[in-house]
Amino acid sequence: MEHIRLPKVENVRLLDRVSPRRSRVGTLYLTATHTIFVENEAGVRNETWVLHSLVSSVEKQAAAASGCSLLVRCKNFQVLHFVVPRERECQDVHLSLQRLSQPERCEELYCFSYKPNVDEAERRQEWDFLDPKADYSRMGLPNSLWKLSPVNQHYKVSDTYPADLFVPQSATPPVIVGSSKFRSRGRFPTLSYYSKENHAAICRSSQPLSGFSARCLEDEQMLEAILRSNPRSDFMYVVDTRPKLNAIANRAAGKGYENEDNYSNIKFQFIGIENIHVMRNSQQKMLEVCELRSPSMSDFLEGLESSGWLKHIKAVLDAGIFIAKAVAEEGVSVLVHCSDGWDRTAQVCSVASVLLDPHYRTLRGLMVLIEKDWVSFGHKFSHRCNHLVGDPKEVSPVIDQFLECVWQLMEQFPCAFEFNARFLITIHSHIYSCQYGNFIGNNQRERVELGLRERTHSLWSYLWKNQTDYINPLYRPDHSQTQGLLRPSTAPYCFKSWRGLYNRFDRGMHPRQSVEDYLSAIQEETQQLEEQLASHKQKIAQLELEQEGSVTQEAVSFDKSPTAWALGRDLGLANTPQDYTGGFVPSSPCQLKAPDGSLGLLTQDSNLSNGSDQESGIADVSCRSPLSEDSAGDPDSDEAAYSAA
Amino acid sequence: MEKQAAAAGAADGAGPNRKLWGSPTCGPAAGDTLDSPTGSHVEWCKQLIAATISSQIGVSSVPSDIARDNKARRRPDFMVSKRLTPRQDSHDEGLCYHGDSDSEHPTNALNLPALRYGEQATMFQNQVPLLPGETVQTTVKDVMYICPFSGLVNGTLTITDYKLYFTSVERESPFVLDVNLGVISRLETISVPNQGGNTKGLELVCKDMRSPRFAYKAEEGHPDVVELLAKLAFPLSHSLRLFAFLYKEQFPVDGWKVYDPTAEYRRLGLPNESWAISKLNSSYELCDTYPSILVIPTHITEDDVRRVAMFRAKHRIPVLSWIHPETQATIVRCSQPLVGPTDRRCKEDERFLQIIMDANAQSHKLTIFDARQSSVAVTNKAKDGGYESESFYPNVELNFLEIPNIHVMRESLRKMKDVVYPTIDEAHWHSAIDQTHWLEYIRLLLAGAAKMVDKLESGKTSVVVHCSDGWDRTAQLTSLAMLMLDSHYRTLRGFQVLVEKEWVSFGHKFAARVGHGDENHANSERSPLFVQFIDCVWQMTRQFPAAFEFNELFLITVLDHLYSCLFGTFLYSSEQERAAKEVQTDTVSLWSYVNSQPEDFTNPFYVDYEHHVLCPLVSSRHLELWTGYYARWNPRMRPQVPVHQTLKELLFLRAELQRRVEDLQREATSRSSSSFSEHSPSHTAGMPLHSAV
Repeated sequence: MEHIRLPKVENVRLLDRVSPRRSRVGTLYLTATHTIFVENEAGVRNETWVLHSLVSSVEKQAAAASGCSLLVRCKNFQVLHFVVPRERECQDVHLSLQRLSQPERCEELYCFSYKPNVDEAERRQEWDFLDPKADYSRMGLPNSLWKLSPVNQHYKVSDTYPADLFVPQSATPPVIVGSSKFRSRGRFPTLSYYSKENHAAICRSSQPLSGFSARCLEDEQMLEAILRSNPRSDFMYVVDTRPKLNAIANRAAGKGYENEDNYSNIKFQFIGIENIHVMRNSQQKMLEVCELRSPSMSDFLEGLESSGWLKHIKAVLDAGIFIAKAVAEEGVSVLVHCSDGWDRTAQVCSVASVLLDPHYRTLRGLMVLIEKDWVSFGHKFSHRCNHLVGDPKEVSPVIDQFLECVWQLMEQFPCAFEFNARFLITIHSHIYSCQYGNFIGNNQRERVELGLRERTHSLWSYLWKNQTDYINPLYRPDHSQTQGLLRPSTAPYCFKSWRGLYNRFDRGMHPRQSVEDYLSAIQEETQQLEEQLASHKQKIAQLELEQEGSVTQEAVSFDKSPTAWALGRDLGLANTPQDYTGGFVPSSPCQLKAPDGSLGLLTQDSNLSNGSDQESGIADVSCRSPLSEDSAGDPDSDEAAYSAA
Repeated sequence: MEKQAAAAGAADGAGPNRKLWGSPTCGPAAGDTLDSPTGSHVEWCKQLIAATISSQIGVSSVPSDIARDNKARRRPDFMVSKRLTPRQDSHDEGLCYHGDSDSEHPTNALNLPALRYGEQATMFQNQVPLLPGETVQTTVKDVMYICPFSGLVNGTLTITDYKLYFTSVERESPFVLDVNLGVISRLETISVPNQGGNTKGLELVCKDMRSPRFAYKAEEGHPDVVELLAKLAFPLSHSLRLFAFLYKEQFPVDGWKVYDPTAEYRRLGLPNESWAISKLNSSYELCDTYPSILVIPTHITEDDVRRVAMFRAKHRIPVLSWIHPETQATIVRCSQPLVGPTDRRCKEDERFLQIIMDANAQSHKLTIFDARQSSVAVTNKAKDGGYESESFYPNVELNFLEIPNIHVMRESLRKMKDVVYPTIDEAHWHSAIDQTHWLEYIRLLLAGAAKMVDKLESGKTSVVVHCSDGWDRTAQLTSLAMLMLDSHYRTLRGFQVLVEKEWVSFGHKFAARVGHGDENHANSERSPLFVQFIDCVWQMTRQFPAAFEFNELFLITVLDHLYSCLFGTFLYSSEQERAAKEVQTDTVSLWSYVNSQPEDFTNPFYVDYEHHVLCPLVSSRHLELWTGYYARWNPRMRPQVPVHQTLKELLFLRAELQRRVEDLQREATSRSSSSFSEHSPSHTAGMPLHSAV
């Protein structure tokens, strides 16, 4: 509270990004956790809530006659443009927000003050919902080839690795320790994914400290052990996900990559994914394109291409495809590393897992995958997501890229994923929101020290409880194209700009009709019909009994029947096609609820929802008011079409 | 979601699949399939329901079986399935890279909507399916197809008077390439190195974004393939008839009856007190490129109309295209006024527009949309053309839509072909697309139409649209605006009416723009304006997936037959010419084909938004390249996941469940009422819901 210089500012204007002429006037409140904008308009109470932890930058522009502009950019790609009447106030809000959005101590993070209405026992259960160890047993581990090693129990060998690690049966502790000394940050080769069918495995590590000529016997033995854990294969791939030049440059610093001559039977391969700095700049450029108010076709296409973002997404996907094919088609094990083995390695291993294993294409599977490959293996969430004030050079959208890879795959295989894009977007928001303890800290050790399991809530059980919102109605796990290995096309036209994420908060930017919502509605209706059918059958069976049976039986059956009939009628109301024309979209079961009331934008008209203005695209002839806010016949909502008019 | 629309072809399912549903036990026995023509679509859906009804919804496992079985069943199917839509070629071409690692191609020739009519197409010697009226001209053996994706394929080339048909049995799966001759833009001889002295190379540069190449041995005494092809592909240049006049298929539905101008005007509430149906042009004397039936204001004399005609380019006077059912605001189309360098005036023309303005009581303004770039409109004055001066026409607002001319569009699509065929430059995809400017022009058209809609709908103002001659950009704009305004045109039949009316009858010069049967490929009159229009429609279907009754396959089919010369629909340039050539009596309409099997072209998502106006977003972020059409020959176009299929299944399942619920309700009602009357009439009071359900 001590950082809030000014808790309330009156007469603030919130400009609409698509059409600045349409602005809203209201009061701005600063609280300990949120910035709240309340629109002063008679009748409606329109509120916009922005969590401080989601604010990525606050920019104050030079004062003008109308007031002083304050541009608030959020990590979930929302951009709020406030105009504060007096410069003094603007300055105060600016400074307060800057401090509030960049906490200095972990204890200030929102997850420690976020207290939903759940009791302690329930809260503890939340954390038991997902267990990466269960995922290993799903893969059939431990078995005769792989064992659970206690070597990192107290994070002694590698402080950024999890405590539970799987290594080849033949890898003895001295080999492991020796190997870890030869790897950056002690991140020795360990198992990430194991294929039950053909024993091929994906292992991950950091770069070897090979310099120009250094060797390490234990490290060579370690790779040998991994190779031998795949009895049917006589070689393995070692994939360095960096561009070759970067890897060579690392040699000068005593690091580098494996020399094929020193390791027996390895095939070494560079993949060429750029580093976190390139990715950060690329996303920045891509976001600039997304923020253009009414870009010309050239601005948009050229901007998208020169940002290189989709090229980088393709590089990550290509790497995943290479590994997935090696495992599934060749039955060859792969060791993946980059420099430290927590950014590109996490991306590539998890993308490969999604391609390989249908389990990771389910709701629960994707959660486990993120928990395992990202959280437990020490992707530096605190640094990469800038949870605390820190080095801006450590920030990078590495996990965004993974989520986008999954989304691009969903676009190509709409029936292969149990979850929908909303699921990915919600995960993305919460990675940055700090509302749940899952993504706080840089590795498992830090999280244990912070006592996150004891003090915060877990996102996964929240998502699981609300899973109906995240189910993809097209999911067909039994279709031939959705089974086993996915073989995506990487032709350039297969990569699209993800409007749903990057332009999520721009009203009027989304397609007006969503096929998925339509499908969900029909699916739900079909289910209701089936229930109805069952109840009717039951009813008839009862009636049959009645007709034959005694008076007492009849009485019993009538006790039940009114409910059955009431149910039947309620459902019947929504069953005619006419009901559909009127309202299939608004009645869609998948309207995105604002996650738990405190995150992101929470206006009353719930702009947040992808689906909320689907219907509005079709302006009803009967209400032809050009100024009606919700009518997309409103010229303003059509950025470019009317900007000239 | 881009995929789902393209899935239509696959999802709509054709004969072989339907068969499979019904008898899942039948193996890949050739005879089995050959003997039994495929069931109707409805039949197939019923079987589908039977197969899924017992299991959980949405999880039926049958499609995967199909996918797996297809490979084995390919050959027999390909022998029966009748090839009509060139779309099939894409799948045929699919076979040519079938051996690649990317081998999962559940869609191929079989998944196409085979024609139910004329199923028993005659087979020529080596299984060349022939259409009624089609004759084989020559067969050349040992021809190499130079596949840009997987190298050389050796096979037999059959040339008929309709198509070029290449088959090869060299590889494990038979390879077929079927190119109709109408689609050929020009023939080029190419050099073929390392194939022996007398080997000749031939490239067929096609209008639909591909250019297959062949190599063959020239033999003494045989007619030259190139010569023969040139004669057959460009019949008009060789004083031969177009194939449409030889095609003898019988369809149960007559597509020529789809468009009846009087009925269509009646639907719009015309004639009324302000607008009359005029027979002034019944013998095409007033304007030879206009239809015989026109709608013009009531309060204008014949002499005035004739004077206006003299003042408008090609005599294309302002006529009504569409009228708003409530406000009476109208869309009026015409050509440019012949203002000339001296700023000529025409009192009658000025009064004509005034009357159009007065016919709409809701507004005292009139908006003229000149589709051209303002600079071009100005230069046109020097060439005796021009635009309406706001000072001579009171209360008129003139807007230029800044759309470039036909030559720019032609060049744009030519560049597009270089981008998508045969190979795609991975690194520069977006900038390459940008440099074609194709999407920019699509955007201009949609934005122009949206502006018209806004004026009409929100401003209640009548609009007048023209470009130079009023048959290219004007047709694009009026038809797009009408599509946005009037839900009738968004139905399968309504869309056909729209095309027949705004494009065919109002004299879009299809013959010149497409160049049917004409060898002069460099003719500067050619331009893909109709393709642009269909692309705009596709962009709208992407934004409103439930607002259109037709699907993507329909749009692609229309475009394919724009070139094929199989149907008479798009032949010639005006109604007068078509009447003279007796197109309606001597050829078949494309709509006969479409309306004989509408299920294949129907969008399962369709909901009739009657009286809804569509306002598509036209920002650059919302337009995308229609790869399902332009890039469809690329082997990396993957077969689509059946999203449409899933929905169709669900819709049928729902219908079936609804029926059963009703049945059971009826049964329950009858039983319970009988039981009540027998046992406890007092209970009926507690069950008031019977009548409600």
